[in-house]
Amino acid sequence: MFLHNYKYSLRLMLGNRQLVFWTLAFPLIMALLFNMAFSNIEKSEKLDPIPIAVVDDSSFRSNMIYSETLKTLGEGDDRVFDISYTDEEKAKTMLSAGEITGYVRFAGGEPKITVMSDGIKETVMCCVFDEIGNESKLITNSGMEEIARQLQSGNKDIDYKAVFTAEAEKVMGTDTGLKDTSPGNMSFVMIEYYSLIAMACMYSGLLSMTLMNYNLANVSPVGKRCTVSPARRGSRLLGSLSASFTVQFFGLLILYLLLLFVVRADFGTKLPQIILLSLLGSLAGLTLGVAVAVLVRINENAKLTVLISAVMAGCFFSGMMGITMKNIIDKNVPVLNRINPVAMITDGLYSLYYYESGERFIIDAVSLAVFSAVMLLISFTGLRRQQYDSL
Amino acid sequence: MGDKVIEVKDLVKEYKQLRAVDGISFDVYEKEIFGLLGPNGSGKSTTINSVLSLLKYSSGSIKLFGREMTPDAYDLKRDTGVIFQDVAVFSELTVYENIDYFCGLYITGKKERKKCVEDAMELVGIGDFRKFYPKQLSGGLLRRLNIACGIAHKPKLIFLDEPTVAVDPQSRNNILEGIMKLRDNGATVVYTTHYMEEVEQICDRIVIMDKGKIIASGTCDELKKLAGTEEKITVGLKNTDKDPTDGIRKLLHVTDVFKEDSIITVSYDGGTHNIARLIDHLREQGVSYSTINSQRPTLNDVFLELTGKELRD
Repeated sequence: MFLHNYKYSLRLMLGNRQLVFWTLAFPLIMALLFNMAFSNIEKSEKLDPIPIAVVDDSSFRSNMIYSETLKTLGEGDDRVFDISYTDEEKAKTMLSAGEITGYVRFAGGEPKITVMSDGIKETVMCCVFDEIGNESKLITNSGMEEIARQLQSGNKDIDYKAVFTAEAEKVMGTDTGLKDTSPGNMSFVMIEYYSLIAMACMYSGLLSMTLMNYNLANVSPVGKRCTVSPARRGSRLLGSLSASFTVQFFGLLILYLLLLFVVRADFGTKLPQIILLSLLGSLAGLTLGVAVAVLVRINENAKLTVLISAVMAGCFFSGMMGITMKNIIDKNVPVLNRINPVAMITDGLYSLYYYESGERFIIDAVSLAVFSAVMLLISFTGLRRQQYDSL
Repeated sequence: MGDKVIEVKDLVKEYKQLRAVDGISFDVYEKEIFGLLGPNGSGKSTTINSVLSLLKYSSGSIKLFGREMTPDAYDLKRDTGVIFQDVAVFSELTVYENIDYFCGLYITGKKERKKCVEDAMELVGIGDFRKFYPKQLSGGLLRRLNIACGIAHKPKLIFLDEPTVAVDPQSRNNILEGIMKLRDNGATVVYTTHYMEEVEQICDRIVIMDKGKIIASGTCDELKKLAGTEEKITVGLKNTDKDPTDGIRKLLHVTDVFKEDSIITVSYDGGTHNIARLIDHLREQGVSYSTINSQRPTLNDVFLELTGKELRD
């Protein structure tokens, strides 16, 4: 039964030209358009190192991890920051004059960032300091553990600086933890590609929703026919979902082949993780499509509108139409991005691109899996013993 | 009569203000074609959808093959086939694939399914169109495909909900013949329609519905007796100099004579050879006529008698 349903679900999807266009062809067309539109712009408008100021006081100088990391980030041709070490008054003046993107002063061991406006450079600055903060905590914790170990083993002559340096090297390697394979400057074309991938993942909901509609008696005549058959709903749902996932998988595969070999997008060294995240994102999109089909009891076109609106709202809040929105949501309504699958996908992709640490990627991947499981559970519950008040 | 295949008792289905099905009860027996006749909106499809457990009904009980019908009664569903009023096929699949897909929801074995699909195509006469897509078929062929999809798995109980709507006469005859073949092959058929001629042609027993209620039931002959007349003869007079109505009124079994212009309509409550007696009488009276027709009462007359309105109103 499962294979029968799976086979015909594939036939139904591939025979539906509209569906094939929106889920398979449209992302490819968009990728080519992005490439044509943005590739030259990026070459001519590559972002320069971000000018920042650091308030060089005793708090800063006593914070070894930050001072050493910033020193590294401010050196070399591929440096991230152009750093001016100064006092707070001068930093404020420089910020007012527009000479720097923002300045940092340290209080209680924590950096306090001041910027004038929201923008890509400001976002990068905040993200970098967030990451240094995360790694700083890791280094501190592991350094303390190492010192405790040495004290227990009777070593009373501990070189504290050497311990923390060793732990820092363990955590960060010889690098700062930032991306090591691409230029230090942000590629906004890559952001567009990530957005495109997230959109392609979520559009997979169209596949599963179309197939589910074929199984629902209140939506289509064939749905009535399927509902009166002895084929169990769970089996039909799984067959449809598996077929949708297969089509989506090949769609993503073609998209990645195009991005890698035609568009020549730079995915760094973490392509397997990026593909894994895309597949989890696709699963989230597929299960969202099933949930909308099962739970929203309106006609087929209205369901389509609901699904596309949900995806577009998710895209908007995740910063697809302007990266500052993501930070606004992160600061003010963080829970929204924790339940927004588009935000999970884009956040995971950004984190893979910019950070060596896989912590955020894992959180996003697990969040997507949990989101999918919840959607499936709700859908199964909705389908169980389903009867209609009217047809 | 065979065993009871369907038992419906006091079925009620309400939609907020409207009582679409109003406490109906009926039984359907093995190997019969059971007709549900009524005008549009009389509650036929709602009854079928309730019996199939697609609709939640307000009260009453429904049993199929002696067991309560529920949405999860998969073993009962396995023996049931449904042909809905709307054509329920996939435009992306060919004729063969459509039948195979729906048949596959009931039968998993490939060989058995292949034979069932071939038999269904032969039964409805669409074998020559197996590689056609639905949009390439005429309305009649599409209806035949719709039926093939519902009966390919050889169900014991078949529901046909207005399967001949918007079908040409040739396809209609083909479909009706197919339904009778299904019955002859051992299936029980529930047939809903608002075409009385079809019901008269194929149904063994009939229930007439109006406004959610059963207003009459029985065999076709039993129902026709409710019409209050057994035969109607209309005579087209050549000239209207003589009025033969008084004489006709005295003939055996005549219940009513009605004259309008040159047409006389004579109603009978029974008897045989009424037309011969009328012709003899007209000859004796020297009344010449141009046409003479005999009409048996139809189910429309029954409906008219019971509700005061035409079945097709």
